[in-house]
Amino acid sequence: MAYEPQYYPGSTSVGVNRRKHMSGDLEKLRDISDADVVTIMGHRAPGADYPSTHPPLAEMGEPDCPIRQLVEPTPGAAAGDRIRYSQFTDSMYNAPAIPYWRSYWGAINCRGCDPGTLSGRQIIEARERDIEEYTKVQMDSEMNDVALCSMRGCTVHGHSLRLDEEGMMFDMLSRCDLGDDGNVSYLKDQVGIPLDQKVNVGKAMSEEEAAARTTIFRCDNVSFGGEASERKFDEGLVALHHMWERRSKWGFRPE
Amino acid sequence: MGNIHTKKLFVKALNKKFGKDFDLAEKNTDYAPFKELGVLQSDRKKEFMAASKALEGKRGISMYNPYLHAGGIPMGQRQIVPYKLSTTEYIVEGDDLHFVNNPAMQQMWDDIRRTVIVGLDMAHEVLEKRLGKEVTPETINNYLEILNHAMPGAAVVQEHMVETHPGLVDDCNVRMFTGDDDLADEIDDMYLININDLFPADQAEEIKAAMGKTSWQAIHIPTIVSRTCDGGTTSRWSAMQLSMTFIDAYNMCAGEAAVADLAFAAKHAAVIQMGDMLPARRARGPNEPGGISFGFLADMVQTQRVKPWDPPQISLNVVAAGTMLYDQIWLGSYMSGGVGFTQYATAAYTNDVLDDFSYYGCDYGVDKYGGWGEAPSTLEVVKDLTTETTLYDMEQYESYPTLLEDHFGGSQRSGIMAASCGVTCGCLTGNSQMALAGWYLSHMIHKEGWGRMGFFGYDLQDQCGPTNVFSYQGDEGNPLEIRGPNYPNYAMNVGHQGEYAGISSAAHAGRGDAFCCNPLVKVTFANPALLFTWEDIRKGYGMGGAREFRAAGERSLVMPSV
Repeated sequence: MAYEPQYYPGSTSVGVNRRKHMSGDLEKLRDISDADVVTIMGHRAPGADYPSTHPPLAEMGEPDCPIRQLVEPTPGAAAGDRIRYSQFTDSMYNAPAIPYWRSYWGAINCRGCDPGTLSGRQIIEARERDIEEYTKVQMDSEMNDVALCSMRGCTVHGHSLRLDEEGMMFDMLSRCDLGDDGNVSYLKDQVGIPLDQKVNVGKAMSEEEAAARTTIFRCDNVSFGGEASERKFDEGLVALHHMWERRSKWGFRPE
Repeated sequence: MGNIHTKKLFVKALNKKFGKDFDLAEKNTDYAPFKELGVLQSDRKKEFMAASKALEGKRGISMYNPYLHAGGIPMGQRQIVPYKLSTTEYIVEGDDLHFVNNPAMQQMWDDIRRTVIVGLDMAHEVLEKRLGKEVTPETINNYLEILNHAMPGAAVVQEHMVETHPGLVDDCNVRMFTGDDDLADEIDDMYLININDLFPADQAEEIKAAMGKTSWQAIHIPTIVSRTCDGGTTSRWSAMQLSMTFIDAYNMCAGEAAVADLAFAAKHAAVIQMGDMLPARRARGPNEPGGISFGFLADMVQTQRVKPWDPPQISLNVVAAGTMLYDQIWLGSYMSGGVGFTQYATAAYTNDVLDDFSYYGCDYGVDKYGGWGEAPSTLEVVKDLTTETTLYDMEQYESYPTLLEDHFGGSQRSGIMAASCGVTCGCLTGNSQMALAGWYLSHMIHKEGWGRMGFFGYDLQDQCGPTNVFSYQGDEGNPLEIRGPNYPNYAMNVGHQGEYAGISSAAHAGRGDAFCCNPLVKVTFANPALLFTWEDIRKGYGMGGAREFRAAGERSLVMPSV
């Protein structure tokens, strides 16, 4: 029987969505052009050559090495690209993605990447053409909602702040704007440098859709522990209890 | 599940912060009015700008300008809110809680750094057995009178010496304390820390039983000396004055060999430093923050003595002391620099949030397990207490968007939730390792539920932490009381160390103990002459922020007026 990874327990929508993020089996909701993704990232102008830090691997005369024979380089590594990043902030008000699950998605599905996880932001670093590809997957897929998620290289505290009156996540640097037509546009790149032309990334999810697609447990949506008067633990919490107990007992080791 | 215990203590604070008519539960808001005002919302920022402008001409170089923040977009794109010091009525601006702006916070640290405890018995043995001199309560009183002349920086024995101005060093004092009630009765009140008067009867008996009939000196050198030099100075300054005082009080020959014994006792054999010396890579002498064990800090805080019936309150005051000392001063300035660490620390002692979370957990535990220190010390109990408390905490952040906004950083939230669980497990089981186990489980529940926690290194420490709670390996498995900021897994990041001190105190508060780690430290900081408000840490910070606290170590007496 072929091995089938079991990514995460639980039958709630949050459990299902977490499994989708980890497996990479994501629904594509929009198609933002390569050029627009590159513009928002802000590392190079669309169409410009990729700056490199070393010659293409094929020209470097690499040593005879079994690991090199086993591991095929990513396109960015093969070309000698520099390392670049994209970083996302996800609102705690039912944004589809959450930082650890962006990292799990990256670590499981993206070759040659370095995910970093914080409370208000999640960064993935990789060779430049590779990170552009990985960023586009995130922006196009159900991991992303244009009102509740945004690419932010700095000032990320909006993740825990109240939403504005239109339902947009707070951004001290006002990188995004909600137009009268309901479309959200980036006016600045991820570190807040104004763009020559705004980039339209489409319409936001409804509150109901965000609540259905989210991966965060909340007591006002999918609860992690049930009601205070009648606790009912999610399977994820039960599994976590088991891991904590094992870690604690393993450390004891009186031998 | 028993009764639901929730007092929502933070609601009053949030109403004071955001305005009494504010809908604290509304998740949407209009940010536009605040964006227009920016930093001008804050009286303190306006004061800073005016002060900077006034100084620029004098300095000849530019200074404070909040409009330089993040590409020309100033702070204050949302409502700038004040902070309420938990359980007090003090409301101050965030800036008032940076230790540079808060003299009470400085004095708290000064009171520790300028303190050593030195045994009297070893010196008395030298005098009696080696020199054949008589030591009586009368000679001790005479010695203490001379010592309180000499310790601030005055001369004895030798004439024509320079001395310090009493007005600059008036905070310096030495009092003795003893487990021998007969001796204590004979000591002049002004030179005695009276254990029987200061502590509840049961605590006094416990302390005296622990220290036996030994006698000790609580020495607080002048604040201005330890600020000019460092913590390592304290034992040296005190040892010189102690030795000279013995010579004077007991008519010794200044050059006789026994003086070396007295000096050795004062500097090494009989001295208790408040903090251990740190290894070369952290490079600090004794009596610096990185060497102060969690148990010692817990004993410095005096809430246990004045409110023994309120274990969570005892623990939360230790948390407040620890987050300020370890986060704001030690990690935030000694080790890192900058101003960001204050933001982490304030979450632990403002707006009654940690208080509410901790009392919820404790009420739940008392209801279920019968009383303080009565819950069995098992992983099952820790799991129960911690899971209920963490879920409650998370639900408050989810139900009150303004609360979430108040703790806008994940490591703030993680530290607060885990601290409430550590305090709960400590108070209920009376076991500090159980409290630590609860701390770690809470972090993991938080991370699992929200898919986010603190930051890289923060999360690392807590995700691997459960394995060192019960470890038998010496450098991993210390009782929490004798771990400290330089413990291998704790040395690197904010939002932990003060909480560790608090939850180690929780175990002893739950047991009704008189002290946490060292009875001598507990008695020394009961000295009524100490300047900082050791009985109520948060009140002290509030007084400092409200500009009501007068600290020692001032030089204005010998400078031209401004």
